Amino acid sequence: MIETKKHYDIPEEDVFLSGHFACPGCGEALAVRYVLNTMGPDTIAVVPPSCISIISGAQPYSSMKIPVYQTTLEASAASAAGIKRALIRQGKDHVNVLALAGDGGTYDIGFQALSGAAERNEDFVYVCLDNEGYMNTGAQKSGASPHLVNTAFTPGGKPTVKKNVVEIMAAHGIPYVATATTGFPDDLARKVAKARDMKGLRFIVVLTPCLAGWGVKDDEGVKVSRLAVDTGMWPLYEVEYGTKYTINRGPQGVPVMEYLKLQSRYRHLTPEMADELQRETDRAWELLQARATCVVSVSNAEPIP
Amino acid sequence: MSAQQTPVPTAWTTGWTTVFDTGTWRSQLPVHMWRPAPCFVSCPLGNEIPLWIRSITGGSEEDYKAAWDKVVENDPFPAIIGRVCHHPCETDCNRQALEQPVAINSLEQYLGDLALEKGWTLPPAGESQGKKVAVVGGGPAGLSCAYQLRRFGYDVTIFEARDTVGGLLKFGIPEYRLPQTVADAEIKRVLDLGIEVKAGEAIDTADKLEALRKSYDAVFLAIGAQKAKRLPYLGDDARILIGLDFLEDVSRGKDPVLGDKVAVIGGGSAAMDVARTLRRLGKTVQLIALEGRNELPAQEDEILEALEEGVSLFDGAMVASLDTSKPLMELSCKKVLLDKEALAKGEIKPIPLEGSDFKLEAHQIIVTIGQDPTLDGFDTVVATEGGMIKTNGGPAANVPGIFAGGDVATMDRYVSRAIGQGKEAARAIAAYLGHPEIVPLPDYTLDDAVARNEINPFYFPIAAREERGHTAVTKRLRSFADVKIGYSEGQALSEADRCMSCGTCVECDNCYIFCSDMAVKKAPEKEEHYIILEQYCKGCGLCAAECPRGCIIMKQESK
Amino acid sequence: MSAVKLENPALDPALLQERRMLLKGNHAVSYGVMRCRPEVIAMYPITPQTPIVEKIADLALTGEIDAEIMTCESEHSAMSACITASLTGVRVFTASASQGLFLMHEMLHYASGARTPIVMPIVNRTLGSPWGFWPDQTDSLAQRDTGWIQFYTEGGQESLDMVIQAYKIAENPDVMLPAMVCHEAFYVSHALEPITVPSQADVDAYLPPFNPEHRLDVDRKESWGNVVTQEMFYRHRRDMGISMSHVPDLVTKADVEFAERFGRGYGGILEKYRCEDAEMYIVAFGAMCGTIREAVDQMREKNLPVGLLKIRLFRPFPVQAIQEAVAGIPRLVVMERNYSPGLGGILHQELKAALFGMENAPLVHGYLAGVGGVNVSVDRIEELTRKALAETPVVESVWV
Repeated sequence: MIETKKHYDIPEEDVFLSGHFACPGCGEALAVRYVLNTMGPDTIAVVPPSCISIISGAQPYSSMKIPVYQTTLEASAASAAGIKRALIRQGKDHVNVLALAGDGGTYDIGFQALSGAAERNEDFVYVCLDNEGYMNTGAQKSGASPHLVNTAFTPGGKPTVKKNVVEIMAAHGIPYVATATTGFPDDLARKVAKARDMKGLRFIVVLTPCLAGWGVKDDEGVKVSRLAVDTGMWPLYEVEYGTKYTINRGPQGVPVMEYLKLQSRYRHLTPEMADELQRETDRAWELLQARATCVVSVSNAEPIP
Repeated sequence: MSAQQTPVPTAWTTGWTTVFDTGTWRSQLPVHMWRPAPCFVSCPLGNEIPLWIRSITGGSEEDYKAAWDKVVENDPFPAIIGRVCHHPCETDCNRQALEQPVAINSLEQYLGDLALEKGWTLPPAGESQGKKVAVVGGGPAGLSCAYQLRRFGYDVTIFEARDTVGGLLKFGIPEYRLPQTVADAEIKRVLDLGIEVKAGEAIDTADKLEALRKSYDAVFLAIGAQKAKRLPYLGDDARILIGLDFLEDVSRGKDPVLGDKVAVIGGGSAAMDVARTLRRLGKTVQLIALEGRNELPAQEDEILEALEEGVSLFDGAMVASLDTSKPLMELSCKKVLLDKEALAKGEIKPIPLEGSDFKLEAHQIIVTIGQDPTLDGFDTVVATEGGMIKTNGGPAANVPGIFAGGDVATMDRYVSRAIGQGKEAARAIAAYLGHPEIVPLPDYTLDDAVARNEINPFYFPIAAREERGHTAVTKRLRSFADVKIGYSEGQALSEADRCMSCGTCVECDNCYIFCSDMAVKKAPEKEEHYIILEQYCKGCGLCAAECPRGCIIMKQESK
Repeated sequence: MSAVKLENPALDPALLQERRMLLKGNHAVSYGVMRCRPEVIAMYPITPQTPIVEKIADLALTGEIDAEIMTCESEHSAMSACITASLTGVRVFTASASQGLFLMHEMLHYASGARTPIVMPIVNRTLGSPWGFWPDQTDSLAQRDTGWIQFYTEGGQESLDMVIQAYKIAENPDVMLPAMVCHEAFYVSHALEPITVPSQADVDAYLPPFNPEHRLDVDRKESWGNVVTQEMFYRHRRDMGISMSHVPDLVTKADVEFAERFGRGYGGILEKYRCEDAEMYIVAFGAMCGTIREAVDQMREKNLPVGLLKIRLFRPFPVQAIQEAVAGIPRLVVMERNYSPGLGGILHQELKAALFGMENAPLVHGYLAGVGGVNVSVDRIEELTRKALAETPVVESVWV
């Protein structure tokens, strides 16, 4: 379990710099800070169109003190793979490659490239900064948008559930899949460090509250992030080689309403809808626990050749 | 098209976003600052509670000593205060947002007892200022004032009417609440700083006061309130006794001759002390108080312990008349309600309830309803008001060079208040005498303090309060043993960990780590530990929200 | 992750020497690629391109090609990976055709904008719908606005040689733009020809290693692709145009140098075949040029003074070279195997635009002769030539 502690074990590399154009209190910028500083200066990053591509700086300035290539929305994984292959040829296999994509570029349009890279077990770290929608274009629905949420495309509430990208990625049998969120920066940094030091495709999906898109107060992004975990809507866990599950932090007995009520994107919820989300969350948590227990008993984590 | 000179590609970056001033977006700026904790604001002594509790968490003897050193800056009597304080600090403790207040009083006792056990000494007297001060009265206020004056480097003489200093600490608080060995040791430690004591020298006339004024550079009047209040309508039967006299007799080892059944009138701490002392002497005790159960001025602990010890409480009641014709006096009582409007003004105005009469019997009645100062003659030297010496709101009387504090100058009659007033008086005297290092202490109110909703509960896991052990009731009734059993080291550590350090930065790094603009910079050399980079701060307020303890406030900016 | 290689492939030194082989056009390309030593090769199958990358896979297995082989899940990813690998500073290769090329379309712009000198053979094939596999150049011609250099070749040997030249031209610091080498489905891609595979030493001497000025490098920390202003975008596109303007001369130079070293040349930007004293040039590109040569020979025997003007470089469109080539010629007839609905034959229209304003510009006939891969025989070419000589040209391209 994660302990709340007084000091953080997060590298203080100055890879991510001040002066970027993220909104005040931006969860994504926070996540980028932890991710980049943990990945360290020996990293080349790929960024698709997204808030991250805005945050990374307007030409000719960069907020990331590493080489960054801005690719197309669907191509992050392929672009990252290309860089790594070139580095291998240059004898620079030690240089990390990092894809920093949003949920649209991961769950939706970028999924083919990601799945292909996973199947080939390309050697890079893919971090999905999941703010549950196309926030840079004004909060439209993505495959990551949760059930019943209000988006620009689902003004009455999204009728279907969030795609479970974690399990899908785990099913590729890649070395490392993990969830994280900005409210638990130690956990996030630890996972990035762990991923950084492995080989093959490592996938981390970071829930990053979008203050404008979610309707959250400027100073409540971290609180919302924590509540996502503590209500069980975003359990923190890791899956190695598709089989070894480690649950870092599950629901802490906080009703989902505590999370939902801080966000105007859920303002339309009726008590019945809120109950439905609570049941879904409970069920998903049960399923995750069952999966964690049963899969690990079948096989300990082994690299798949 | 013709061939032209090859241009430099436009797409490769050449610099960093640190050239941008994103601070211009801001409408509010976080200010990282020390802020008063409510415990500190409420403490009558001005004890910097979060600081010394934090030292305890260090866990070594050195840390405990550092904590004790911090305590004795304001309170030379931690072992005493750790037992008898009414601890308003705990009443206002923000920890109640989670579960229960931090047991500050118990921690202070732990440090106080540890210091006595280890023989720690107070810091030596300050560099001599070449001036002398007379302190009239060797009770808590006088001793506290004398202590602080010595630290400022003044020569101090205490004039004590009794045969020994200590006042209430020695003769008013029973052994089971404050063992004499503890009181004596802490008082001696203060006197050892080089304070002259003239015992048996009552300053009880205007002439004597004038003489002092002439021979000393300043005089501090802390003569307490010695004249017990009485209930004249009950008559002057010899079986009607005064509480403080009774307590002093017992503390001096006298064995007052009493019948089996005793009635105690009063609802304050002293009445509790009388009642509980009587129980230890084997008496049946009926405690009659005007105030209802929840209005009693005594501390809740004391009331509970008194009830545990078998005191029969008749709260919201008064003795209407007394029949002294039999050896067993008959008390005709009525239930009363206190007038709420009067109570709000600090006045007691009982309204009898019809048909609520009841009768009690007692061999003796001990009246313990408070005392008034004995000011005979002083009013020709200094102004008085309401039976007390009139001060300027602080400790200064209307005559230059005369100061007053403790029960003689306030109705706020708590030991810790008296010690606090002694400290304040010492500061005022030092300022009066032109001490170079005296700066006025800020006067904080609870409105200035970190509020409960400014605490971020996520960072403080629920943790039950460590309670001090209590001596078993049967043992209590057989002796005058300390009722409260001090903490073990483990208990002290775990309780100290519960302190949230409201308003005092502990360098947890939350503000640093949760800034998405890297606009909070660590500055360990600075008192506030962090610097806000105004060039970049966008004013989101996340640092303030994620400060567990309210050390950051958002200041509105207009541009 | 890298391709599986045979352990200790005993690489016969003879394999590095010039070799004379009977090869399909696509396999000729594979051998040409091999000699260029690309470091990252991204592949995805599509008929009729597949034999190029299949052969590369075989050559990688035997060790004749030493590169990172990426077997991508789509052409889009293949192109995406090529762009970043190139930006990281290595020579890259991929190939495509038809629908696959169209899936790449978005990334083609990225490649040129990123100034990555990728070389990509295109095996021209019809585009659906309806479904077909036939020779048709509309697929690559539809990419003419993507900022890629485009070469059109006539046969396997030319394709092989142009892959080598294309790298040299594209990687020139004054250019730094990607290039397509286009040949047509089956007529070239699957036709066996005797092919000369040049020696490795000669190609190494001709084609210097790729060493771009800028690259994704943790020591340099430069980033590429951040948001630009309108003015910067304007300048960036203008700069691409300037780079394009260097290409024609470099194509000519590359061909001359190639001919000097390898003994084969192709005329550079364009080739004139039996154009002396011609009344009319047949203007074409790609595989049809081979048949037109025979037709020209046949017509010359019949004293019909016509010649072939073969356009080899389509992007940048060599306006100046064409104007010079056709000066004094009364008529041109374009025969082509592509179609832009609503416009006509793409070469026909571009050619007319290139001649606009030219003094005594020739009349231009445009015949949509081979759209969909229909056979355009020697006799058919003679028939169409006589038709052109007999009529006044119309503005539109004509279905014949």
